[in-house]
Amino acid sequence: MTTDSPRRVVPQPDELTQPFWDAVAEGRLMAQRCQQCGFYSHPPRIICNECHSFDLKWEPVSGKGKLYSYEVMHMQSITGFEDRVPYRTVLVELDEQPKLLFLGYLPGADDGSLTLGMPMEVFFEKIEGTDQTLPQFRPAK
Amino acid sequence: MVWEGKGKTAVVGIGLSKLTRRPEAPLGALALDACRAAIEDAGLKPEDIDGICTYPDQPFAGAGRRDGEDLVNALFLMNHGGLAPDIKWYAQISTGMIASAPIEGVNALISGAAKYVLFWRAMHIPKGTYNSFRSYSAGGDGQFGAVYGHVHGYQTHAIAYRHYLNKYHQNREKMAALVTNSRRNANLNPGAFFYNQPMSVEDYLNARMIAEPMCLFDCDVPIEGCTAIVMTTADRAKDLKNKPAYIAGYGQNTAHRPEYLTYMVDSYLDAGRPHVGKIYERAGMGPKDIDVAELYDGFAPSTLYWLEAAGFCGEGEALDFVQNGNVSLEGSLPVNTFGGSLSEGRLHGMGHLAEAVRQVTDRADKRQIKDANTAIAIDGSPLLRGSGMIFTREP
Ligand SMILES: [Zn+2]
Repeated sequence: MTTDSPRRVVPQPDELTQPFWDAVAEGRLMAQRCQQCGFYSHPPRIICNECHSFDLKWEPVSGKGKLYSYEVMHMQSITGFEDRVPYRTVLVELDEQPKLLFLGYLPGADDGSLTLGMPMEVFFEKIEGTDQTLPQFRPAK
Repeated sequence: MVWEGKGKTAVVGIGLSKLTRRPEAPLGALALDACRAAIEDAGLKPEDIDGICTYPDQPFAGAGRRDGEDLVNALFLMNHGGLAPDIKWYAQISTGMIASAPIEGVNALISGAAKYVLFWRAMHIPKGTYNSFRSYSAGGDGQFGAVYGHVHGYQTHAIAYRHYLNKYHQNREKMAALVTNSRRNANLNPGAFFYNQPMSVEDYLNARMIAEPMCLFDCDVPIEGCTAIVMTTADRAKDLKNKPAYIAGYGQNTAHRPEYLTYMVDSYLDAGRPHVGKIYERAGMGPKDIDVAELYDGFAPSTLYWLEAAGFCGEGEALDFVQNGNVSLEGSLPVNTFGGSLSEGRLHGMGHLAEAVRQVTDRADKRQIKDANTAIAIDGSPLLRGSGMIFTREP
C-alpha cells in the first residue's frame, strides 16, 4: 500500500440504514426519530430506547452540535487507515438531544485546535476513488 | 437487606496456567493445567467436581472455530477434564462480565445442584496482529464507526477518558501513580507477566501513545492463559485443606446498559454505583468495610471509574486519590495488589478475583495485606458492564 492510498472503509448499508446513506448521498443528515415520544436514535435501532415504541421514522437533523470528546489514533490496526496515523476521531453531540452522538474523522495529529464543547458542524466528504459520501464534522465556521 | 446467601459458599482452590505473550500450547491444554491446579490446590480430585461453569467468549471477532483452540467451552472440560462422570450442573455465561459465571456457580451450590463447582476463564490471542480490523467495508453499527477509522475498544475508552479528564480538570500525568503502583505489585507476583520488569514514572510518561490520551501502559497486556477456581459450600469448605475465602455478596451491572456509541460517555457513575451498591447491599457492607480492592484495569481509566463508583473517593477525584501511595500495599486502600491486568496480564478480571481470594486467606506472599478481612473484586468497566464479588475471611 502506498502512503497516499485513497482507499478507505466504506459503509455496507442494510435495510434499516439505507435511508440514512441515501440522504447522505444527497448532502442531508438524518436520524431516526420516535413518532411516539420524539426521541432520536443513532446509530439506527429497531426500538426506541426511551419509550420502547417500534414506530421510528427518518427525520432531518441540523448537523450542528458540540464536540463531546475526541481521541488521537496512533495504531495502524484498521484497514484503510494504517497510513493515516495519527488521526483524530471526534464524537459530536447534536443540538437536537443530549447524547445524540455522531462520530467523525479528522485527519492529522492533535494540533490544539479542538476544545471539548466547541461548536461543530457537519460537512459531506466524498471518499476519493469511490462513489461514497460520508457525513463528517469540523469546528463550526 | 443483607443477602441470605452471605457466607454460605467459598472459594477453596486457585489454579493458573502459564501466561504467555503468544500462544505456545493449545488453549485447551492451558485450561486443563489451570483447572487441575485449582482442583489440586483445593485438595480435591477431578472426579469430585460435579459442577462446572465458564465465560468462554473472547474479545476478538471470529472465535469459536474449534473448542479448545481459540476458546474453551464447558463441553471441553466435561469431555477432557476427568471430572465426575455425572456432572450435576453446568453453565456457560455470556451476560454481565466474567464473574457472572462464578456467580451462577454460587447459586448452584446454594441450591444444592452441585457440591464442588469448577470455574475457569481461558484467554486466547489469535495469531498475527491482535485486535485489528481488516475489511474495506463495514456493516452493522460499524458502518457508523469503522468508516471513520474508529473500531477498537481502546478508542472508545480514550474518548471517554478525555471527556473525564476535561470534566474534572484532571491530567493524564497523574495516572503514573496508579500504573507504576500496579507494576510495583506485579514485581512481587512471580506469576505476573511483568514480574521482572520495573516501571518508573518516567517510563510511564515517555510511553508511546496508543489512542491519546491513553498510552501503551494504560492498556493491559494481552496474554494467552487460563485461571480457574474451585468453589463449594461453607460447610464442605471447613473440611478442605485451604482456608476458605467466603463469598459475602455479588453483583452484576444491569442498570443503564449503554449502547455502541453512548458507552463512551459519562454514565460510569449512573451504571457503576447501583452495580457496586448491589454487592455492598448483599454483603451488608460499604466502602469503609473493604480492606483490599481489586478493580478491573483492562484500560487504566476503568479503575478510576470503579474507585468512584464504589465510593472509595468522590466523583472526579480518583486521580487525586491514587497519589502519595494511598493505593499501595502500605496505603489506606491497597488496589490491584497483584499488578492488575496492566502488569499481571489480561485475564479479564480473573486475576482480580484470584487475588481477592488470596488476600483474605493469607496466601498473597510478599503482597499480603496484614489483617485483610474483606476484599472486593470487580471486573469490566462501569462504562460498559461488569460483575463482582466481596470475599471475607470469616463467613
Ligand atoms: Zn420513543
